[in-house]
Amino acid sequence: MRANFPVRLGPAEDALIAQLKAAGADAAAERITVAGLPTRRVESYHYTDLKTLLRAIPPLATAANEASAPALRIPGAFNLMIANGAIQNAATAPAGVIVGKAEGGVLTTRDDVLVHINGALAKEALTLTLESSVDPVIQVERRVEGEAAHVADALKIFVADDASATIVETFSGSDAAHVGNHATYLSAGKNAVVTHITIDLSARAVSHFATNEYQLADGAKLRTLVIHAGAGLARTHVFPRMAGAGAHADLTGLNLVADGQHADITMETLHAVPHTSSQPLFKSIVRGRAKAVVQGKLVVARDAQKTDAKFMHQGLMLSDEAEILSKPELEIYADDVVCGHGSTCGMIDEDSLFYLMSRGVPKAEAETMLVRGFIAELFDPIEDEELNEALQGIVDGWLMNGQ
Amino acid sequence: MTTPVLEIRNLHARIDEREILKGVNLIIPPGEVHAIMGRNGSGKSTLSYVLAGKEDYEVTEGEILLNGANILEMEPDERAVAGLFLAFQYPIEIPGVATMTFLKAALNAQRKARGEEELKTPDFMRLVKEAGSQLNIDNDMLKRPLNVGFSGGEKKRAEIMQMALLKPSLAVLDETDSGLDIDALQVVSKGVNALRDGQRSMLVITHYQRLLNHIVPDVVHVFSDGKIVESGDKELALKLEAKGYASYGGEAA
Ligand SMILES: Nc1ncnc2c1ncn2[C@@H]1O[C@H](COP(=O)(O)OP(=O)(O)OP(=O)(O)O)[C@@H](O)[C@H]1O
Ligand SMILES: [Mg+2]
Repeated sequence: MRANFPVRLGPAEDALIAQLKAAGADAAAERITVAGLPTRRVESYHYTDLKTLLRAIPPLATAANEASAPALRIPGAFNLMIANGAIQNAATAPAGVIVGKAEGGVLTTRDDVLVHINGALAKEALTLTLESSVDPVIQVERRVEGEAAHVADALKIFVADDASATIVETFSGSDAAHVGNHATYLSAGKNAVVTHITIDLSARAVSHFATNEYQLADGAKLRTLVIHAGAGLARTHVFPRMAGAGAHADLTGLNLVADGQHADITMETLHAVPHTSSQPLFKSIVRGRAKAVVQGKLVVARDAQKTDAKFMHQGLMLSDEAEILSKPELEIYADDVVCGHGSTCGMIDEDSLFYLMSRGVPKAEAETMLVRGFIAELFDPIEDEELNEALQGIVDGWLMNGQ
Repeated sequence: MTTPVLEIRNLHARIDEREILKGVNLIIPPGEVHAIMGRNGSGKSTLSYVLAGKEDYEVTEGEILLNGANILEMEPDERAVAGLFLAFQYPIEIPGVATMTFLKAALNAQRKARGEEELKTPDFMRLVKEAGSQLNIDNDMLKRPLNVGFSGGEKKRAEIMQMALLKPSLAVLDETDSGLDIDALQVVSKGVNALRDGQRSMLVITHYQRLLNHIVPDVVHVFSDGKIVESGDKELALKLEAKGYASYGGEAA
């Protein structure tokens, strides 16, 4: 018989197990009891060792009594809010939008501890059904307010065939040491055109986890943008399933990481059928002693011929002590595909800086211009001007904090 | 005596332990155009970079006075505000920064530093349109990222357009003619000549006498092994064209 070395559990794991058991999620509790939180020895958590990084799990969230200021205002947007896991009443929805609620989790089961926890603890999901094209930007604010709390919430979005929409999710709240575990499932119908942006603007003390799962039908076009610009520890999962011929996804993301922070974008795209394409492009800007991680896995199913996918991660180091880590992975079971990956990493280019300064632009402003230039590829495709400006404002604010 | 726009006294500079400038002396009075000609590798671009304040170079001796003020301790942006402009031999490509955005930032940064008000967008657009039309630069080009994918000639025209907008008191043109076709050479020369106003001075670095038919210099200097070895009127350029640099010693690069 194989000897069974029990894993030593820490206070975070003990608290998690108790919360999961109380919620009746015995299987999820049992998994953590046996394996603990993932360490660097677990492949997909190699660069984000949760056992080390996540030292405490606060009590499960109760209803929010107070509210912090909105973290991001997008003029003209239709706003919805989930605070401490509870869906808040919303204003009248614009034409084509049906707002509703559903039971429990929204994610497809997979072997991932954060997905398990969300599935076990998210009690109700906000549902958005977009029956036709929606003009205003839809903003879903996800807040964790009050004393330090552990919260799991969920959002499910259906975009009808031929419809187009832009959905922005912002994550924010009070300054306490919350642990947020957020899930979004988005299904894009045939020929739908969808932009989905998730922005973490939580306080430094927060540990922010989010899982974005996508399902794309024939001809659907998806653009995603993950921005990490808040929590001390952040990890967002991007899990698209390219399930219809002609579907295309531009999967983008930006880690803005300052001293003492750790941000991780982990993507796994499944090209399930022939003739789909994806263009994952991620960027990390890091200053101080900080760590940015991007993992990108492309899985091409056996029959998914003519898949076209290329993963790219570009890093910009604003300090010597910063760390930028890339892990591309290809798992290809078809033979007629074009798949690839690449990554680059560099500092601000001295010649470019000199050129701008030689025209009278002061150093700090010239650096800001170059950083904006570095990011432009991610923001330029966002056509809504107010939204584009709001995104630019996040980057400018982050840069200003560092000067 | 009027203060020269540029005065360089016994300038020595080095990069990575290697001395490139070995005692440059040069005086350019207001309104004059001086040309510098010299072999590849003789240090002409180095001189232009040292003037503009590029960090890689260490000035070990000498002085640079711009309108009477020592600029050696100034940052590149401060030198620009003080009236210096360098048209680069190889303009830098900057992805993600629209040319228009850059022009506005540069113009307003200089105005701000001089205590002037920032330009309103319509006024800025008018200035850009004026400067652009003279140099055959249209709005589409200005919407593209700075110098990215510009042809060699487009890059040079864009440099002169920047000069026209920034109105420096001293313009250093480093091989602005290289890579230009015959028509573009005319356009650029016209642009440069339009900026000759009796006050603004220019230092024109070139390999070809041809440019000096269009931009007629007051003085021609021969640069060799890190310093000026001979100065004369525009006839000197013709002599160089005919005889080459052999009489100045050293080896061809
Ligand atoms: N980083 C460096 N380290 C060492 N030597 C350098 C460095 N940069 C330039 N040089 C040298 O300095 C010398 C002068 O170069 P510079 O570019 O000033 O010449 P130039 O006169 O402008 O030539 P050209 O006519 O070809 O443009 C050259 O020999 C060059 O190799
Ligand atoms: Mg040169």
